[in-house]
Amino acid sequence: MSDESATNRTGGGLVSGLPLGTLNRYKVPIGALLLVLLLRPLVSMEFLLGYGSVANTILIWMLFAASFNLLLGYTGLLSFGHAMFLGIGAYVTAIGLSRFSSSFVLSAIVALALAGVVAYLIGRITVQKGEIYFAMLTLAFGTTAHFIANYNPAGLTGGTTGIAGGAVPAWIETERGLKYVNLGGFQFDWYWLVAAAVLVGLVVLWQIVRSPFGRTLIAIRENKELARAMGINTYRYKVWAFTLSGVVAAYAGTILEINEQGATLSLLTVETSGDVILMTVLGGANYFFGPVAGAFVWLFAEDYLTDFEMLVLPLKEIPIVSLELAGVLAYWQFFLGLLFVIAVLIAPREGIWGLLRDSLETLYDRLRTGEEDV
Amino acid sequence: MSETDTSTTERADTGDAQTAALGSTGLTKRFGGIVAVDDVDLAVPEGELRAIIGPNGAGKTTLFNVLTHALAPTDGTVYLHGEEITDLPQEQRPHRGLARSFQSNQLFNELSVLENVRVVVQTIESGPFSFDLLGEGRSQHREQALDILDSVGLTDKRDVTAKNLSHGDQRRLGIAMALATDPSVLLLDEPTSGLGTNETGLVTDLIESVHQDLGLTLLLIEHDMDIVLSISDRVTVLDQGRVLATGTPDEVRGDSEVQEAYLGGMREEL
Repeated sequence: MSDESATNRTGGGLVSGLPLGTLNRYKVPIGALLLVLLLRPLVSMEFLLGYGSVANTILIWMLFAASFNLLLGYTGLLSFGHAMFLGIGAYVTAIGLSRFSSSFVLSAIVALALAGVVAYLIGRITVQKGEIYFAMLTLAFGTTAHFIANYNPAGLTGGTTGIAGGAVPAWIETERGLKYVNLGGFQFDWYWLVAAAVLVGLVVLWQIVRSPFGRTLIAIRENKELARAMGINTYRYKVWAFTLSGVVAAYAGTILEINEQGATLSLLTVETSGDVILMTVLGGANYFFGPVAGAFVWLFAEDYLTDFEMLVLPLKEIPIVSLELAGVLAYWQFFLGLLFVIAVLIAPREGIWGLLRDSLETLYDRLRTGEEDV
Repeated sequence: MSETDTSTTERADTGDAQTAALGSTGLTKRFGGIVAVDDVDLAVPEGELRAIIGPNGAGKTTLFNVLTHALAPTDGTVYLHGEEITDLPQEQRPHRGLARSFQSNQLFNELSVLENVRVVVQTIESGPFSFDLLGEGRSQHREQALDILDSVGLTDKRDVTAKNLSHGDQRRLGIAMALATDPSVLLLDEPTSGLGTNETGLVTDLIESVHQDLGLTLLLIEHDMDIVLSISDRVTVLDQGRVLATGTPDEVRGDSEVQEAYLGGMREEL
């Protein structure tokens, strides 16, 4: 009985034909598919944002944060320079498109290859250092990447202004501020290409963490000494985790480049590296969807809270209490910071996603025992 | 090699370190001015169950750490089946047949019992590093892991998260993981410490069956004299990092030097 009800609960009518085992096994890709399909319709709802353009950015950042969590959550490496790889993805794509008039696909391939090589080399000299030194070294490399882009070598990176002109592939059309993809005479909203690309990225990450390689990363995170005593070459695993994480982050960067129609220097700042850490920890580094949830809360709150000017309770139609909130909510980051502190204090690796799961499980258990009582 | 110093023959192993399953000559580990392992000659022949005993701080665990290269020795040589492995990195030793379990329960805490063993099986089958990104792991590795769990009696707990196991089960899982490396020489560091009588019995039975059924060479650090005297073939007594005596349980028990230096306080136990 409990199996059936669990199927219905988690799957709903949409996939109720699938056996529970399969459903459970593929819950991450199924969840990712639902996520990319539903995110824009969800945030576009009137009582949330009422517009969907931010959904593109949120999806891309979700992928970026998930790539970061391959390091923090699965391997136990805290990097302070992950923005470097997002930046390499965006900058190399933008340089390819605007300076060499190359195709997007070629530029993106070069971007991923470069990110892979850079990550591999940095990984080789950093991953075996102690936690603090790894953090400091990645911070230093991240700052170096920012410096190089700002220095504008051979006029490639555009210095402080970044790359703006001519950095969008020809198959992207812009009408009244909205982007459309036009491929072979077939036109569709840019969001759906972002959705597909992010879905692919998330599925790749999911496959990495469930593979024998990924299981070994978790073992290393759990107990480095034991891993070595059991014959695992922890160094090489960490180097490749760093490399794969960097490549997926660069992949997110290539999508972000089109979304932002260029590459900006702000992508490479320490703030970007810091934001992805905060999102991941806020969301819950223990879970695949933790950083995804963290990215959502972080970016959604930014738009949602800054839109909020007047809180009317209980309903707009029946104004009993009205609160002027614009002044307070301009400091939305303070409230997110507060949320972050609470999440870390309560459950450092669980985050919002962990708390959500826990409360849903508690609720489910309570409902079930309630039924039995009746 | 002519490293056998005549003055140490009495306390050294009678065998030759290079023909033994696991051997060492002049093995030394210093931490600054402290000599934790002092000029240890060891020769554990194939198939022997050797107990290492000694008072706290005698250097027993450090000896294990140096033999497995968890710590690099300051001096001396280590042999595994006649091959010199002194500088072989720790993570390569399980692939040569030298495995260990830990005194405190060292596990991959957040992984299930089955996953703990499967990761080890997979590592031994695929090598110290394998860029295997496809699938969820080979079914044959899973089968092997299940067999090993069966042999230590943890089959029914295979889906339990390792950190939620009882103390005794955690210890058995630790041994299962060491066995999963398919070792020829197995080092067990106080496998019964902190366990109740019942659990101690189960773990001792497991050790004996591993020794007899699989014919493994075993080195066992153990405090419980009853266990030492009942299951070991020979005993090596360490004191202040040095080998005080090596012999059968009876010989060691009768050795006046051992009694004086170490067993004095424990005579009533014998």
